[in-house]
Amino acid sequence: MTSTDTGQRRRSSDARPVIPDLIDEATILSIVEEAWVALVGEDEVLVPLAGDLPVDILSSWVDVVGPWTGSVVLTTGRDTAEELSRALLGEAAPEVLEHEDVEDAFGEIANVVGGNVKAALPGPSGLSLPQVGNAPVVRNPADVCRVDVVWRGEPVSISVQGALPPLPVSSPTH
Amino acid sequence: MRALVIDDSRAMRRIVTSILTGLGYEVRDAGHGREGLDVLDEGWRPDLVCVDWNMPVMDGLQFVSAVRSNPKWRSVTIMMVTSESEHTQIVRALAAGAHEYVIKPFTADAIRDKLALLGLLPQEVAL
Amino acid sequence: MSLTATSFDWVRELVRKESAIVLQPGKEYLVEARLLPIARQMGLADVGKLVETVRVRPDADSMRRIVEALTTNETSWFRDGDPFTALTSTVLPSLLTSRGANERLQIWSAACSSGQEPYTIAMLLDDALPNAASRVSITATDLSREMVQRTRAGKFSQLEVNRGLPAPMLVRHFQRTGNEWEVSSNLRRMVNASECNLAAPLPRMGPFDVVYLRNVLIYFDLPTKQSILRRVRDLMRPDGWLFLGAAETTLGVDDSWERVVIGRSSAYRPVKGA
Repeated sequence: MTSTDTGQRRRSSDARPVIPDLIDEATILSIVEEAWVALVGEDEVLVPLAGDLPVDILSSWVDVVGPWTGSVVLTTGRDTAEELSRALLGEAAPEVLEHEDVEDAFGEIANVVGGNVKAALPGPSGLSLPQVGNAPVVRNPADVCRVDVVWRGEPVSISVQGALPPLPVSSPTH
Repeated sequence: MRALVIDDSRAMRRIVTSILTGLGYEVRDAGHGREGLDVLDEGWRPDLVCVDWNMPVMDGLQFVSAVRSNPKWRSVTIMMVTSESEHTQIVRALAAGAHEYVIKPFTADAIRDKLALLGLLPQEVAL
Repeated sequence: MSLTATSFDWVRELVRKESAIVLQPGKEYLVEARLLPIARQMGLADVGKLVETVRVRPDADSMRRIVEALTTNETSWFRDGDPFTALTSTVLPSLLTSRGANERLQIWSAACSSGQEPYTIAMLLDDALPNAASRVSITATDLSREMVQRTRAGKFSQLEVNRGLPAPMLVRHFQRTGNEWEVSSNLRRMVNASECNLAAPLPRMGPFDVVYLRNVLIYFDLPTKQSILRRVRDLMRPDGWLFLGAAETTLGVDDSWERVVIGRSSAYRPVKGA
C-alpha cells in the first residue's frame, strides 16, 4: 500500500462510508422477503441459507448513486432466474420464455429490492433502471453486504456492493 | 371505471393490471410517461392512473407534472406505484400532484385499500 | 406433528363461521405457514399441537388470532373507515362542546393488535386538534404481550404502511428507519399500551369518552359478550361512545345501549339510568 495520505482522510467524519456501516444483513433479508411475498407469491418461502451457485448464473441489478454509490445485485442460476420470471408473469407467461421476458421480470425484482435498499441508506440517492447480465465486479471487499437465501431449493444471493475501489490506506503513524 | 397503468416492466404492468381488472376496471397500459401521455392525448379518459417512477424516456414524476399542468386532465386521479420509498421522494411526488403512493412491493389488498381511500372502488366490489 | 385432515377441517369451519371466508382444500400449506408464529408464541411445537389445544379448550383470543392470521395479511389503517370518519365528523365536535377546555379526552382501543387502530385515532386527532398531545390520551390494550410491545414500538413494515394509510398521513406522521416506518414521537406520547384480558375483571382505567372494541365480541359466547359489554360500560363516561366491528351489535345481547347511526356506521351509547 502506498502512503500518500496526509492523514486527514482518516478522520471518521469525512471518511467515505462502506455498506456494512449503513445497513445490516437482517434489513436486507427483510426487504427481500417482502419483495418475494408480494411479487412471487404469498406462499413463497425464502430460507436464509447459503448454497452453491451453479456454473451458469445470471444477475440483475440496479445502481444507487448518492452518499453511498454501488449496486444492489441479485444472482442465481439461469434456470432459477427463468422460474422466477415465470412466477412473476403468472398466467401471462409464454410457453417459451425469451431473454427479454427474463430481463424484464428478473430486472423488476432487482428494482423493487434496490429501491427499498436505497431508501434504507442515507440519501438523497438516485436509482438506475435495472440491468441483467454479468454482475459488476466487487471493487472493495470491505464495501459489500451479502445475504444468501434458498428459494424452491435453489440458491439466490443478494449483494449490496460498493462501486468504488478502496481508498488508499496510509501506513500507521505513531 | 377505467385505469391507465404506466410501468416500464411488463411483468409489473401485468400484476397491476390483473389486480385492477379483478376489481372491475377496464385497463390500458403504457411503457413510460410519454406513452402514457399519448394515450391521454387520444382522448381516452381514465378515472385512475397508476404510474411507476423510474422509467426510460419520461419518468413518473415528469408525467405527473405534465398531467397536472394540462387543464383537460386535471380531474384524473394519479397514484404512484414505485419502489422509490424515501420519505423525501414521497413528499416530492405528492407535491407534484400525485394523490396517492403505493410502495413496491405491495399486495393486491394494498391497491384495494388505497382505491377505497380514493373512493375509486367500483361499487359492487366495495359491498 | 403435521396438520391432520380433522384439524384442517376444524380450522376451515372456524374461519368460515367467523369471517365467511372459505379456505379451499389444498390450503393446508397456507394454514401451516400462517399459524406457525401463533403456535410458537404459545410455546407449542407446531400447528397440529396448536389446533388440538384450541379445539379441546376453545379460547376466544387464540381463535381470534387464528382467524386474523388466515384472513388478513396485515391489519389495515382506517380498517372499515366509517368508525374513524364518525370520530372526526360527529363524536369529536360533540365532546369538544360538552367537555371543559382543560379536560383530557380519553379514548380506549380495546384490541389494538400491532397498533394500527390507536395510531389511526392519534393521527386523526392530531390533525383535528391544535393541542392533541396534551388534550387526548389513548389507551391501547391487547391480550398479547407481543402485540402490546409492537404497539409501544410504533414501527411498521413497508407492507404494513401500504395497507390503507393515506400517503399524506404517512409523510406527516412517520419517519423511515432502515426498512421500517416509525411513528412520530408526538403520536407515541399520546398512546399508552398495556396488556389486558377483556374476558377477566378489568384494571382501573378511564373513564373513557370513546371506546373502540372492534372484531372482538364475535369470538365469545353470549354470557361472555354480556359481561364484557357490562365491564366496558363501567369504564365509560355516561355520555360516551362505543364502536363495535361492522358485523357486531349490542342488539339482542345487552339492552343497556342505544344505537346511534352516524353516516355509514353506528355507535352505541349507554342508556341513561339503565
